Amino acid sequence: MSRLKALAGVSATAVIALVGWSCEANRTALAPSGGGPLFHFQQFECTPLKMTGGGRIDYPPGTRDQNPPASHEYETFGAHVIASGQVDENGRCLADKGALEWVDHRPEMEVDGHPLNLHATEVTFAERATDATCSDGAVHWGGKLRVQNTGQENLDFEVWDCDNGEPGRDDGFAISVPEIGYAVQCWEPDYNTPAEPTCYLTGGNRQFHPTH
Amino acid sequence: MKTDSIRRAVRFMGLVLPLTWAPRAVMAQGTATCSSYGVGVTTATVNQLLASAVVSAGELMAQDQAGDVAVPGLVTAQNVFAIANGGGDDGSDAVSSATLGAVNILNGLITADGVVAMATSTVGDANAQGSSLAHLVVNGVDVDDNPAPNTRMDLDGVGYVVFNEQIRTSTGITVNMIHVVLQEKVLGVTRTTGHIRIGSASAKVS
Repeated sequence: MSRLKALAGVSATAVIALVGWSCEANRTALAPSGGGPLFHFQQFECTPLKMTGGGRIDYPPGTRDQNPPASHEYETFGAHVIASGQVDENGRCLADKGALEWVDHRPEMEVDGHPLNLHATEVTFAERATDATCSDGAVHWGGKLRVQNTGQENLDFEVWDCDNGEPGRDDGFAISVPEIGYAVQCWEPDYNTPAEPTCYLTGGNRQFHPTH
Repeated sequence: MKTDSIRRAVRFMGLVLPLTWAPRAVMAQGTATCSSYGVGVTTATVNQLLASAVVSAGELMAQDQAGDVAVPGLVTAQNVFAIANGGGDDGSDAVSSATLGAVNILNGLITADGVVAMATSTVGDANAQGSSLAHLVVNGVDVDDNPAPNTRMDLDGVGYVVFNEQIRTSTGITVNMIHVVLQEKVLGVTRTTGHIRIGSASAKVS
């Protein structure tokens, strides 16, 4: 009987360990040790995922520290994405749904005296980055958005999204809207970003939710 | 004897350790709610929330914006945005923010060039990081742009103001970057007649 108990205990441990292992990111050792080429957000997998939250970035420079408030050099946002691991005929990872609300408060980005405001109208893809050093999860996702200030719409956008532990001070986020030449991305030569091209959050939190 | 000890150790590992290795998603199940607004005014005759976003349990995101707003005689504010983010059906996180450009309260008694209120709550943590005030002036005098939480100043004939007001509970935090409490004195008794809140963000996870 005691042998059976011991066997059951070991089996349970093995099962739980396997489940935990199966939920871990499938990381590959591509992150450079410093000084070398940067390789984050280069390898992806289509897998069920969810990323939620919002925050603030003080870009430029996009470090952990807030810029002087009077400079108004910051961005605030809310964003989430959900995917179930589906793949389209071209091999692209499909998003089930998502949203992005982005406000750039920098004076130089103002449109007619108002902060630049980007609003996602469609989120089409989401892929989990397996090579980013984001401890809880990293996602590359995007779709179409509208510039609320001007009415320009159907613009492609993509974001790089990094949950690097709690409570969010080490998390990262980056966005690019190529058609209007807009990007908030941090490429630090000394590798001082959560995972390039993401910039540190100076407030808020990104939360990766394992969904399996 | 030694074998028994090993067996006991194995049983312990098999039965107890797995409980500590529960997947994070299971451990983090909860309810997340959050809300934010740019301007909130409550008096005997006015009850207004301008740019208000509310996320209830199970929801993911809400946002609102009000552009430039005015509550005559009490507040004007520019470029008001409110964004609230929940965790959806596994509500383990909530983040909300309210941002404003130039703000003028009580006909110039208090002004600021920019306000950010940000509240974040996750399981076991809540904070107001990301919140800030820019070029804060009270009664014509520059005030520290980085006031400590719950910094109170009396306003002669008006009441008082609390900057960077942070109200913590067991489940989260509410931050009001500028909270004016309107008071009047009648027969020697002070009573509150209204509230003006500028930049309010709340996030709760339970």
